[in-house]
Amino acid sequence: MAAVTDRSKLGHLIWPALAWAVAIVFFFPIFWMVFTSFKTDADAVKPEHLLFFTPTLENYVNMAQNYDYWRFATNSAITSVFATMISLIVGIPAAYAMAFDPSAKTKDILVWMLSTKMLPAAAVLYPMTFLTKNFLGIYDTHFLVILVLCLINLPIVIWMLFTYFKEIPKEIIEAGKMDGVTTWGEIKDILIPLAWGGIASTALLTFIFCWNEAYWTVRLTTIDAATLSKLIEGNRAPEGLFFGRLSAVSTAAVAPIIVLGWFCQKQLVQGLTFGAVK
Amino acid sequence: MANRMIPRLLQAPAVALLLVWMIVPLSMTIFFSLIRYVLNSSNRPEWTTPSLSNWRGLGNFQYVLENDDFWVAIANSLMIVCSILVLTVILGLAIAMLINRSFAGRGIVRVLLISPFFVMPAVNAVLWINMILDPVLGLQGIAVGAMNSMVDGLRDFPILGHFFALWPQLEPISFRAAQTSAYAVIMMVTWQWTPFAVLIFMTSLQSEDESQKEAAILDGASAWSRFINLTVPHLARPIAIVVMIQSIFHLSLYAEIEIVSRGNGNTNLPYLIGEFASNNIGAASATGIFAVILANIVAIFLLRMIGKSLMD
Repeated sequence: MAAVTDRSKLGHLIWPALAWAVAIVFFFPIFWMVFTSFKTDADAVKPEHLLFFTPTLENYVNMAQNYDYWRFATNSAITSVFATMISLIVGIPAAYAMAFDPSAKTKDILVWMLSTKMLPAAAVLYPMTFLTKNFLGIYDTHFLVILVLCLINLPIVIWMLFTYFKEIPKEIIEAGKMDGVTTWGEIKDILIPLAWGGIASTALLTFIFCWNEAYWTVRLTTIDAATLSKLIEGNRAPEGLFFGRLSAVSTAAVAPIIVLGWFCQKQLVQGLTFGAVK
Repeated sequence: MANRMIPRLLQAPAVALLLVWMIVPLSMTIFFSLIRYVLNSSNRPEWTTPSLSNWRGLGNFQYVLENDDFWVAIANSLMIVCSILVLTVILGLAIAMLINRSFAGRGIVRVLLISPFFVMPAVNAVLWINMILDPVLGLQGIAVGAMNSMVDGLRDFPILGHFFALWPQLEPISFRAAQTSAYAVIMMVTWQWTPFAVLIFMTSLQSEDESQKEAAILDGASAWSRFINLTVPHLARPIAIVVMIQSIFHLSLYAEIEIVSRGNGNTNLPYLIGEFASNNIGAASATGIFAVILANIVAIFLLRMIGKSLMD
């Protein structure tokens, strides 16, 4: 008996220690990026200054002055917020109809929607550039970026909302119908308050996907509507000449999302599982 | 019939948007793939405007199929996606089991673990290839240099020195070379997506039937057999979800490939399409059609596998 207790005591020490070690390993690259952002470019590549150096805010000042960080950040914020809002406005009614009034085709429509997500972006990039530049004249506009972000995230938005809405007992919605509530009233007064948590996690995840999107936002913009992904792609310095600067720009690009993610961890976990894992 | 109208109307905007999004660019891609269409040509200026008179039939497809780069890109795409899937599922399972018990600071451990998932792909690539993996200036180079000088120092020791004299000098690995940059991509994407797998497996583990497990313990089942017979079947569905969602994202991996291996031959399909598209739109479009076909094969397979269970 004593042996068993000893073993489990040891287990009580080892497993948490291992868990902490794994967590630190995974977080280390992010820590290192933030850490390096306070070194000068010269210090950042000197092994003797690997851990000990005079911290400086030079890189951040430089970034604000030379890289026009705020313009890119504002563009990222505007396009992500609007794309998230619009995809919710389009997605909520669709998911509502699919969850509470399904037809024989509902399943096929859902699967088809998800399959549009699998359409490789590269396959349709040139036509999109061609159309938006030559015919529609919306290349490099906020409108285009918002539209594309909406379209690429809509399938996921509808899937997530659908799985959340299905959790709501149908009787509640039916009761509303009996009382003569309009469809709009049902959505506004019954569905949205009941599914608020699910809608919030959908919005959050969509916002993160929009913020981090790097294919369309880089290729359909030049200056006016360029987002933070574009700033990073444009400024990756060759062969580590500017580690300090690079770290500062990178930190400023990912910090808002990481902090947002920390605060909303619980909702995210729910959202990420598409409601399919309980 | 009026009550069937309303659900249709509610779905109409979403369906219409996605339909246009799918049909318009894709049919243009199909058209471009069937004609000769280049952006610059001094010999054949007529090829620089897309028109039916430049009809090439299946010529672009033949050109792409006979191009070695295409097969390299396909093999690389599959290798990268499969490696990432296997690694994230195994690591995700291991880590989820590890933190599926309460201990001091579990909340903080979770916050630290999930963080890589929020990093934007472009930053992920820039960070790893420069500051971590660079053979000279990155942590890899610094660590290898430190190891070498440590071994050098030990060589001067009286007796032990003979032993250390046998040690080879370590060479840092350059992850910008064609052969190695795929590994760099796998590494950085695995780092980013393992947290996703961990979160999903963890959520699922928490709903595992504890009484069943306790019964198994009483019956004398070993930890391993409990894991194989109870936990793994319970995790089948979350594993399927992790595989599906990741396949969707990783088949179109681009930023990482572009930043890590620009022009060194380590391509995947999206990157190859981008290379063609710098001039030969016909070939780029044909490659795009192949990419759509590949994605559809994967999609059918995955949706069959889990589509049904998601609807229940």
